[in-house]
Amino acid sequence: MKELLKKLTGVAATKFDAEYAEVRAQKLSKTSFTMKEGCVEAAKQGVENGVALRVLVNGAWGFASVGSFSFEALTDALSNACAMAKAAAFYLKLPVKLAPTKTVEDYVQIKSNKNPAHVSIEDKIKTAQTINKTALAFDGRVKSCTVDYLDLTGRSYFANTDGTYIEQDRLYVWSKLSATAKQNGVFTYSREEIGSTAGYEVFDLEPPEQIGEKLAERAVNQLRAEPVKGGTFPVVLGPNVVGVFVHEAFGHLAEADLALAGGVLANNLGKKIASDLVTFYDDGTLEGAFGSFKYDDEGVPAQKSLLIKNGFVQGLMHNRETAQKFNTQPTGNARAEDFRLEPLIRMRNTYFEPRDYSFEELLEGVREGYYLKSFRGGQANIDGTFQVGIQEAFEIVNGEVSKPVRDSSISGSTLETLFKVDAVGKDFALYAGRCGKGQTAFIGDGGPHIRVKEVLVGGSA
Amino acid sequence: MVAVLEKEFVLDLAEKAVKTALRCGALEAEVFVYDSTATTVGIERGQISKSQRIADRGIGVRVQLNRAIGFAYTNVVDSHDVIEEIICKALNAARSSKPDKNWCGLPKIKPFYATLEKTFDSKILDLGAEDLVTVASRMLNSASEDNNHVFPVEGGAGASYVSNAIANSNGISFFDKATIVECSLATIAKEGSVVTPVCFEFNAERTYNINPEWVGKEAARLAVSALNTKRIETKNYKLIFTQFALQELLYYTLINAVKADNVQRNQSPFKGALGEPVGSEVLTIYDDGLLAGGLRTGIFDGEGVPRQKTPVLEHGMLRSFLYDTYTAKKEGKESTGNASRPGYLSTPSIEATNFHILPGNKTSDELLNEVDDGLLVYYLQGAHSSNPISGEFSVVATPVWRIKKGHLEHSSRGVMLVGNIFNLLKNVAVVANNERKMGQLVAPWLLVEGVKVIGK
Repeated sequence: MKELLKKLTGVAATKFDAEYAEVRAQKLSKTSFTMKEGCVEAAKQGVENGVALRVLVNGAWGFASVGSFSFEALTDALSNACAMAKAAAFYLKLPVKLAPTKTVEDYVQIKSNKNPAHVSIEDKIKTAQTINKTALAFDGRVKSCTVDYLDLTGRSYFANTDGTYIEQDRLYVWSKLSATAKQNGVFTYSREEIGSTAGYEVFDLEPPEQIGEKLAERAVNQLRAEPVKGGTFPVVLGPNVVGVFVHEAFGHLAEADLALAGGVLANNLGKKIASDLVTFYDDGTLEGAFGSFKYDDEGVPAQKSLLIKNGFVQGLMHNRETAQKFNTQPTGNARAEDFRLEPLIRMRNTYFEPRDYSFEELLEGVREGYYLKSFRGGQANIDGTFQVGIQEAFEIVNGEVSKPVRDSSISGSTLETLFKVDAVGKDFALYAGRCGKGQTAFIGDGGPHIRVKEVLVGGSA
Repeated sequence: MVAVLEKEFVLDLAEKAVKTALRCGALEAEVFVYDSTATTVGIERGQISKSQRIADRGIGVRVQLNRAIGFAYTNVVDSHDVIEEIICKALNAARSSKPDKNWCGLPKIKPFYATLEKTFDSKILDLGAEDLVTVASRMLNSASEDNNHVFPVEGGAGASYVSNAIANSNGISFFDKATIVECSLATIAKEGSVVTPVCFEFNAERTYNINPEWVGKEAARLAVSALNTKRIETKNYKLIFTQFALQELLYYTLINAVKADNVQRNQSPFKGALGEPVGSEVLTIYDDGLLAGGLRTGIFDGEGVPRQKTPVLEHGMLRSFLYDTYTAKKEGKESTGNASRPGYLSTPSIEATNFHILPGNKTSDELLNEVDDGLLVYYLQGAHSSNPISGEFSVVATPVWRIKKGHLEHSSRGVMLVGNIFNLLKNVAVVANNERKMGQLVAPWLLVEGVKVIGK
């Protein structure tokens, strides 16, 4: 593979006038299935092999992807990508330039305790069945349980005209679980996601019985939940909601491409945009976490990037192109979903750094508010408006967690809300998730429990 | 320009693979061959700066063995060895899986398959990067023509081709090809320290007949009109939902509620409600897989069953659910041709085709005139966090426009809309006639009474 990739970058530079060229190849196998009420829809196995070619010609990008390793087919695609870049450069005013990076040659191997490639489909189905059975047996009101399972293993290859060559093992184990409950015309829905880059041992950390029970219990508890009162309230956010809040409300704004596209952070570098208690990281180096990897898809090493320190914006997440624009270093955030697509700036594991409050101390300050425990979806706008949907929440009355409430969401302006964080817990949890930005990326997010003085809570009561 | 796999080649490939699978021990077999090419040019930060061509083709094999289903796929289509290998993998997957007592077999050939027009245009297939650069720059120019407060954030122009071939052991063997051309632009407007939320417009067609100037102008007009922003009070308002908002809200709720698998699995509030009123009398909805020019129109579905026009709601009465072969046979019914297959990577699943809310007879201006005090809703944030079963939603609308006495007064930011989509459907008061296509939705604007809005 090395020879093929090196030959292609060479051809791009010498024959097709590319200022820069990179070639990414992948050989991946996937196993997946969906189980509904104990019944497997179809057990699936797949192979996805292919090559992405990205070139910079006359300051514009050209990109082609091909599901083949044939030198002839790839040379054709490369020639086409260069011609397309030239066409795209026709009206260009500001040519694309790249920040320099160190050249690397590296071969990254993942040593997994339980490589999913060596676990039989039967065993994977058995795990899903246990989750299913536990959830459905938990309570007669649980009406359905769906388990989606996916694992992905293989190797990716990278070469560019700077002389970098990297081979990396790829390993992901992912599962999405949902359960529904019904009583007297009330429908509730509970979801959970599991993900790891360590291996199938993720199901040893949290055994399937426990997962099934947690899922079912939440759906059943929500049956007696009442609609939320809408309005502005103090809230305590659980780590699961904090993770999505950090990701949606701040993380996307700190992606340098969105900052440059008119986002609210571009003019706030070095400025204070949050309370003293707020420190955020985006970290690609956490071992086994769902958003971790060694090198990104531009060949830049992943790192632990400080985004906010004690309320001050420290930096953004960059690829080589935006790093050049901001005159800084790329941060290793350029990720492509697979060989079919170009790398984009994506988060890795984004989290809120813990401080010193206990959960009880966080609640103490709240006379009338909500404890928002787990999320269901969230979305950001580059003007700094965020929304995080909530699947599990409780009233807080006089410093104590009270009745459950259902189907709510929180929203606000990021720059206003971060100043309203007035207490930060000492616990910590990180969750696996997926982020959609045209492409899907596997990410992690999390933090401690936190308290926010006031936030807009959407409710129908 | 684009090298595509020819009909004869892929049908031969699919039929041979079916035979091989049967020879290797499958009791039933189905082979799906997918071939796509998408050429795009991209706008970033106000300028065209990239172009891409993504060619993706592959083959997916579904087999049945003792009522257990196995599936395997590969994106290597030019090697018989690889195809034999994935057939073995599919069989192995079936052996490792569990029998499904509800499995009633792959579909058989139906007597009638439609002949479609305007689903394929060779002009689109021939579009190269230069042509798309021209389309994108016409769009950009018209966006910045009238106003210097407008900043195009991102967007582009694209031409795509997809062909599907399907063959199964019941003799199904069909081929269909499709084209789509599109352009889109996301804009913001800036004035002093005011930056608007992102506004967005697009145009997508099956034949080469798009209007990039209109897209540019509209995207700019929306952003500029969002500059004048004021807070609004918390109360119930009349809302006009544009197609952007409807597409988001309905995809995660109503469309899920009419999928037969969700109904059968107690995941739909519509279980047992066939023939009953579930929406306002002014609402009639068809799922129309044959709609002329529809973005999801095709001859057959992901299992080779003919697409059709299925009444979902007629004057508010629930008429039918959407079925694939598996869920239909469970109830002794016929599939409605709603097995969907976005590519070769997976087995089919139920999806709406063109979810068509039939237009009424009011123009958009007449609809606005019906509103003394309300909001015009375009873009929603967080619709995917709705409760997909109960239909409860709590989403952010940004920007929205305040309607007073039929006129758009000003915009507002970050307001929250709260309610239940199934109640909302009962409160649709008026349906406009300005229908347009957006993904799987084909719909006009809808005027809905009494939705709770939480202002900032």
